[in-house]
Amino acid sequence: MKKSTRILAVLFLAALFTTSALAAEGGNSRKGKYLYKKNCKTCHVAGAEGGELTPLSKTQAQWDRFFKKNAADCLEHVKGKLTGQDMTDINQFLFDHAADSDQPETCG
Amino acid sequence: MRTLFTLLLTVLLLLPVTAVAATDEAGTIDELRKQVKDLSAELEDISDRVDKNERHTALDRINWYGDFRVKADTLHYSDTAWNPGVAVDLNQFATDVFSDPPTWGFDPLGIDGIPMTGDEGIIPGSPLANFAAQFPNHANAFFSGNVPAIGYLSMLGLDLGDRPEKSDLDNDVLYTTRMRLGMKANVWKNVNFSGRLSMYKNWGDSTGIKVFDSWNSFTMDGTNGGNTTGDWLRVERAYFDWKNIGGSNFYLSIGRRPSTYGPPSQFRENEMRGGTPSGHLVHFNFDGITVGYHLAELTGIEGMTARICYGQGFESEWGNGERFNNITTEDTHLGGLNLDIYNDGMTFVQLTAFAALDVVDGFKGTFAFPAELVELFAPTINQDAANFPNMNFMVRYQPSTVVGDMYLGGLGFTREEMNGVKYFGSFGWTRLDPNGKAGLFGGMASDNLYQAVLMDTDGDGTADSIVPVPTNKAADDSTQDGYGVYVGVQVPAPMGKFGLEYNYGSEFWTPFTQAQDDVIGSKLATRGHVGEAYYIFDINPKMFIKVGGIYYDYKYTGSGSPVGKPQKIDDVLDGKAFSMLPVVDTAWDGYASLTVKF
Repeated sequence: MKKSTRILAVLFLAALFTTSALAAEGGNSRKGKYLYKKNCKTCHVAGAEGGELTPLSKTQAQWDRFFKKNAADCLEHVKGKLTGQDMTDINQFLFDHAADSDQPETCG
Repeated sequence: MRTLFTLLLTVLLLLPVTAVAATDEAGTIDELRKQVKDLSAELEDISDRVDKNERHTALDRINWYGDFRVKADTLHYSDTAWNPGVAVDLNQFATDVFSDPPTWGFDPLGIDGIPMTGDEGIIPGSPLANFAAQFPNHANAFFSGNVPAIGYLSMLGLDLGDRPEKSDLDNDVLYTTRMRLGMKANVWKNVNFSGRLSMYKNWGDSTGIKVFDSWNSFTMDGTNGGNTTGDWLRVERAYFDWKNIGGSNFYLSIGRRPSTYGPPSQFRENEMRGGTPSGHLVHFNFDGITVGYHLAELTGIEGMTARICYGQGFESEWGNGERFNNITTEDTHLGGLNLDIYNDGMTFVQLTAFAALDVVDGFKGTFAFPAELVELFAPTINQDAANFPNMNFMVRYQPSTVVGDMYLGGLGFTREEMNGVKYFGSFGWTRLDPNGKAGLFGGMASDNLYQAVLMDTDGDGTADSIVPVPTNKAADDSTQDGYGVYVGVQVPAPMGKFGLEYNYGSEFWTPFTQAQDDVIGSKLATRGHVGEAYYIFDINPKMFIKVGGIYYDYKYTGSGSPVGKPQKIDDVLDGKAFSMLPVVDTAWDGYASLTVKF
């Protein structure tokens, strides 16, 4: 099927234009994972004080609600070990790996 | 719900106290009674709704998700040519000619009894004379003794050194739509079902079949998910995982495998790891079994998992007319090891090794038979078919011959830095181990050897022509090793990511990646160089636009197929070598796509 390459060019421009006002934003998921493992898992494992929490424990919306409600308590609990941005990174990690997030498509 | 119930109990407990304290306030009691009644009604209503939700959750057993991609490609091929030919056993030819010179048309002593040299001794009107008239360069080379043991004879009548017509091909825009519907279900606490239904079509075509001008156009079991096959929703994956068997770290998984889009190809797809085995070696839909063991607890190495896999790539009997009892092929079995050596979410190291035993000359599949091949191989049919040049008959291809075994191995590494930079490298090795047999399209890494025989074409009882006939023996049964490398980097960029990738495949590089959905053909199967650059615009976590280009520089023919001897593309273009299917020297694919995940 032969058509003008101008159609493709228009598509490119449309893509650029469409996305110019949109961008992914939020925390650093990889950094969040590191911080989560280092700080959160001391309390949030099976049998520990905070009860077991893994990324799959909640949906994305539930994680966002959780952090909105509990971030201040968590910060207080870790006594200055984490900053507000750190909490955003942890929130991003848990959001990205929540029960309703994309998961690796492998067996096992 | 719990809060409401607590509130209700509190009200009930407080009720007597309140009543005693306010016996003279009948109105208050009535008000409290009304509140209890209202709360009871609301509790009943909520209970009904929860029951419905519970029922729905129990019955709605499959969790659906998926993605939808629309894509526009502009495709440009440079120096395409088609010069089909056959490999002829010239040693045998020489033996036959000199064992019976008069019949072939050669008089070694000439008319005066002096030994002849070159082609002087060709008897006019003989089969050799007719051959020399059609292919003078071939004849001169033959009689000068300057020929290899195996020579190639053009099926288009081109003489040795005659260059085939070559041209460029431009398809300004090709639109495609790909829809994948994922399924997950919890069967039991340690048993899951996963599946994926896939539709991949180019706009304006739902025939599900393409004219056979490359192996990429072959509609077959292992590659349907990655090739445009109309508006059919095919089962790309369907398998269960039975985990923690007997409380151990073993798991068993059987079904149509998650054997496509494996690492490190997920970065260019802008998705998470899409399959279990190395995407550099395997990008093919297999039916099979995996037994895995999560080794992390045992070794202390994060993410370490060992998997032993078994699969079947070809069923030789069932559905192949086996009750006529003429089947000569065997089932193709695959087995291997897939080891996630290390996987902490940022660094991933993977080892893949497997073998395919009793590989046949092409899998089962369908294609539209090209008019060009009808003319070559079926001249009688062509007499009628030529009246319908715009019609192709649909063919169900079934391999005829077991051509050998294949072995593949690879080591891959990916790294995702904190700052979002991702990079990877993968090395692959493939070995083709032919058994010396060949089918219509050839043997493993080899052509079907043809033998020159005499034929009486005019029916006068005397041989007048030399024609090649297939022996169904491989022209070469040597074991051939191939290797491939695949490297890439992806960096954060304004509004998204920018990526660069490069891969190379050697002459005999033959991975199982034909289901990669690049429209020109699996870039990772390329015998040659491939470069790709792309920009991904992340609109939101569920939508992205990808704009990029892939450049292919083919060095050898037969990318993606173990069948047939790879020929240098330059030799085919120069008329020194031949290819049953059209060849391309270089090609580039510029694309833009929009993907929506849901």
